[in-house]
Amino acid sequence: MNGMKIGLLAIAVFLLFLLVLDRSRQTEQFADLRKSIEALNGSIQQLGQGSVRSAPAAVESTIPHVAGAPTTGATPAAAAAEHADAVRDGNPKLGVNFLLPYDRSAFHPEWVSGTIYSLGATSKSLNPLTDTSAVTADLHSTINSELCYRPPAHPEQWMAALAESLIISDDYKVYTFTIRKGVKWQTPSIASKPEFAWIPKDVELTAHDFAFVFNLIQDPDVECPSLKSYYEDLSKIEVPDDYTLRLTWKRKVVTSLSFSMEVSPLPRHIYTRNRDGSPIPEKSIGVQFNKNWFDEERQAIGVGAYILEAYEPDKRIRYRRNPAYWGEGQHFEYLEDNCTIKQPDAQLVAFKNGDLTYSGLRPSQYKSEILDRNEPRFAAFDPNNRKAGRSGEFAWEECQTHRFSYIGWNMRSALFKDKRVRQAMSHAFPKDRIIKDVFRSLGEPVLSDVHPTSQYYNHDLKPYAFDLAEARRLLAEAGWSDTDGDGILDHEDHGKRIPLRFTVKYSKDNPEWDSTLLIFRDELRKIGVDLQLKTLEWPEMMRVYEDKDFDAVVGQWTMDWDIDYFQLWHSSQVDIPGSSNTCGFANKRLDELADKLRVTFDVPERIAIAKECQAILHEEQPYTFFMNPHSIFVWHDHGPPHKNFYLDGVTYGLDHLPPLTNRSMMYWHFVGN
Amino acid sequence: MLSYTIRRLLLMIPTLVGILIINFAILRLQSASLTQSMQQQVGNQEGASASHQVRSQASYSAIENHLARFVRTGNNLPALINVRGWLDKDDVVALLRQAASPTSKPSVRSQAQSTLWLLGHFGVEPLEEVIADDSLVDLHGQASVALTLDAYVPLNIEDLKYMSEQRQDDIRVRNGELRKYRFPAGRDDPDYAEKRAKLLALCERDKKEFAHTSAAAWGALLRETGICDFFYKLFSGNLYSETRGDYVFHLIGDRWYVTFWLNLFSIIIAWCGSLLIGIRSARTNGSLEERVATSSLFILWSVPSFFLGTLMLHHLCTNGADGRAWFPNRGLESDDSLWLTTPAFLWDLFYHACLPMTVLCYASFTSLSRYVRGNLLEQLQSDYVRSARAKGCNEDQVTYRHALPNSMITMITLGSGLLADLFGSSVIVETIFSIPGLGLLLFDAAKNQDGPLIMGSTVISVLLLLVGILIADLLYAVVDPRIRSKYA
Repeated sequence: MNGMKIGLLAIAVFLLFLLVLDRSRQTEQFADLRKSIEALNGSIQQLGQGSVRSAPAAVESTIPHVAGAPTTGATPAAAAAEHADAVRDGNPKLGVNFLLPYDRSAFHPEWVSGTIYSLGATSKSLNPLTDTSAVTADLHSTINSELCYRPPAHPEQWMAALAESLIISDDYKVYTFTIRKGVKWQTPSIASKPEFAWIPKDVELTAHDFAFVFNLIQDPDVECPSLKSYYEDLSKIEVPDDYTLRLTWKRKVVTSLSFSMEVSPLPRHIYTRNRDGSPIPEKSIGVQFNKNWFDEERQAIGVGAYILEAYEPDKRIRYRRNPAYWGEGQHFEYLEDNCTIKQPDAQLVAFKNGDLTYSGLRPSQYKSEILDRNEPRFAAFDPNNRKAGRSGEFAWEECQTHRFSYIGWNMRSALFKDKRVRQAMSHAFPKDRIIKDVFRSLGEPVLSDVHPTSQYYNHDLKPYAFDLAEARRLLAEAGWSDTDGDGILDHEDHGKRIPLRFTVKYSKDNPEWDSTLLIFRDELRKIGVDLQLKTLEWPEMMRVYEDKDFDAVVGQWTMDWDIDYFQLWHSSQVDIPGSSNTCGFANKRLDELADKLRVTFDVPERIAIAKECQAILHEEQPYTFFMNPHSIFVWHDHGPPHKNFYLDGVTYGLDHLPPLTNRSMMYWHFVGN
Repeated sequence: MLSYTIRRLLLMIPTLVGILIINFAILRLQSASLTQSMQQQVGNQEGASASHQVRSQASYSAIENHLARFVRTGNNLPALINVRGWLDKDDVVALLRQAASPTSKPSVRSQAQSTLWLLGHFGVEPLEEVIADDSLVDLHGQASVALTLDAYVPLNIEDLKYMSEQRQDDIRVRNGELRKYRFPAGRDDPDYAEKRAKLLALCERDKKEFAHTSAAAWGALLRETGICDFFYKLFSGNLYSETRGDYVFHLIGDRWYVTFWLNLFSIIIAWCGSLLIGIRSARTNGSLEERVATSSLFILWSVPSFFLGTLMLHHLCTNGADGRAWFPNRGLESDDSLWLTTPAFLWDLFYHACLPMTVLCYASFTSLSRYVRGNLLEQLQSDYVRSARAKGCNEDQVTYRHALPNSMITMITLGSGLLADLFGSSVIVETIFSIPGLGLLLFDAAKNQDGPLIMGSTVISVLLLLVGILIADLLYAVVDPRIRSKYA
């Protein structure tokens, strides 16, 4: 009897629980319904605005072309060739318009359709200046445009984007931009709420919006330390009229070129207002900007190809195509970043299940999925291209990154101050074998810190071949021999015998380096060198680079489009705590060249200087330069878009993105020196 | 019973404080230094997982920004005791020499330098004396940098609300002046004499604020410390995570229930399952069945959970040729779960939670069922069980009514830690099955060295541990008449 009572009670409790759950879900459902109605309202409004621009023909006619633009009939290749004759030497033209016309030829309106999922890391705030995380930079590059566009394949060929023209003064100090007319700011989605009805709609982009950004960066209260350092030399920001922006730099330096041109505007009409629409006093704009209400509402707007539709941290970021975009965007109606899937295996499974439309593969996944053909749905190798597979359910392609990895030798240490020792290390490093066996050929060996496809790359350098006999000879020449018979070479230094035994420190994040260094250790042991491994967490590695607390260290640098040898290699940087010259490299000739390169604007001359710098570095080997890693990019290949596919994850356009997509642009944004 | 409960509750307070202090100390020991955090901030530009270096150059205005961040997090204050009120010229000169000497290690130098920059308002007076002293002219450049950074007061958005307009303007003006009068190059600066005079005049003008009165020094001894700052923020709920840009308790509040329910159910399953297995194997002790069960449980136990989870993900959650998988591969609910009927929603939850719960609890079967078996066997051999058998009870009655309740006391002890385990154990499962819970949050926080977030979640798990212990204590009293009678 007792048991029955308890049973009945349990059933009652369960039913009560169901009831409560049901009720609470109903309120959630209503909230969601209300949200979608609001979004619908927003879209209807946008539709009203965008109707003029929906037809591609109308786009062509509403935006005035700069003289010399390709006619609509010209093929992209022909258009490119035409440019090549005009400004293609890359030398800044003084006194005349430096920019190439905006190139619309890659856009095919008939492709526009579909949804695409990608991945994001942890997302933080949306503040474009104070938050330097990759997610935020990526988000803003999607919703916003820059003054000038830099095609990834030809970084020195600047194109007109938000600036229609740029005139550089004879002393390379004054940059005068003419801003494109008729570009409209997006309207944030909260503007449909009654309390935000004050947000103005259809605001036109003016030069004041750019001046606002520069002023914010220079405002001491705004917390954007990494940007701030780059704009220290900017002395004057003037806006003579709404469509003209004039920047004056204190000194003639090459880097001011990209720092002037790679800037995105910020909506002054929002960031200078309080939540209720009242203006913020001039002096506290900087402090307010660090933590402003617009970020707290999870909003961001720009003038770019996409509108931020929903931003849910740690869940998803969703974009919609901007119908009023001034240029030609990517080929998708919607974009969505999924931020929940973080583990590489989980990402792969999510990609296979169709949760993600495109993704990346690690070297080990590349081996098991594509090389070993464990997953038949991945396309087989293209017959005429070993670096892609396009005919299959999952297409894939090998892409270049803009990084190089290295092993750095601390030249302050008694072991590595002799260049012959460093050269011997490079001879003992079986670079090609490691790239083939450990990295599955996903990488290209490099000899210096310049990308192999760049025109600055010195192709005359002779690689340090894997040659243990030569390494042994160099070590013997430098005075290293095994006097105590323990199998390890040693050397007399300040009256003490020191063995050639050292530790190499590397980050845990790249599992491939474990195998790489184990192979290296085996080779070194054959010539009597004892290498020990120590892996550290990334924040700890930061400290190692910072304090130069290592004998040998593994690292990876982003390669810069604006070639520069000052920061990494100039001798003035050796003794500064926290500087980037971690190895303590000092060379008189290189100092001269690095200083000269910073003020030389002429491209052929720059190339000559850069090549000489590379030759010096190659001879001295402060780093054993390793490789430029390649990554594998995979996507669902659904074939050409069809009307029925409208919302169904069509990725046809991906096929036509250049190998260095916008995604790698992200790494260049405000990076560099 | 009441006095027993109150006693237990009071004992929890010193335990909690002790644990928090130890935690805080460990965190401070490994927290990022100023220069390191400067590097890291730049590194974040690339995303933490990319882990490669970015070229950057620090300027003094950038350092001011980093300082502002440090001041906000309370990392600029000494951890436990603040003796900066007694800092004098000699100490500062020693530090300046250490920072300037080219022979010492870079780590020592940057350490000395950031110590100087983080001295706060107590650093101003001794640094002023250094600059006023003509014999120390070689240190003037570094001293001026340190002085201007120590006297610098960053304005926060909260300050705009609570500080008077006049004071705000004063601070702005002074910050601007400090920036102007800085001469890092020392004597080589073209305006050296003028800047130096103006800087000294400024310090003289605001003397009151920077003075080392004994009241200020003693007042700061315990008040202006990292731990004081931390406890204040903790108890007022203002713990702020810089890497996430949100309040810690808000972040935890958004996620705790996912982890909580998942773990609660897997614990219940693990306990019920292992109780059954344990009883069964105690009663069939020594038989072939029991041996097979034990050895297979141990084999299962030795499979690491990340391995099993990944295997399941690849083989049970990946779509096959027919485009369908056995189990969902991510999350705890479908994308359209909001629009399902409530029973369908519950089924959806269960379907999604199936594999994660399996991975969470399969290993506990072995250990828990071994405990049950051991305890039960011990009880079954005791005297009172023999008398029960002699009384004529059948074997079921002996086991369930006499032996089992007595063998549960150890299980209560084991259970007291379980609540706290809820928050630690789910990192692996949450990453593999992409469940946005606390485990993932903690994992990220630990990777990014986000002190406040780690501390916030430690506090929660410590509280849970204490609550678990309290419940266990109360249950002892319920189960064991001896304890009850002692406090009657």
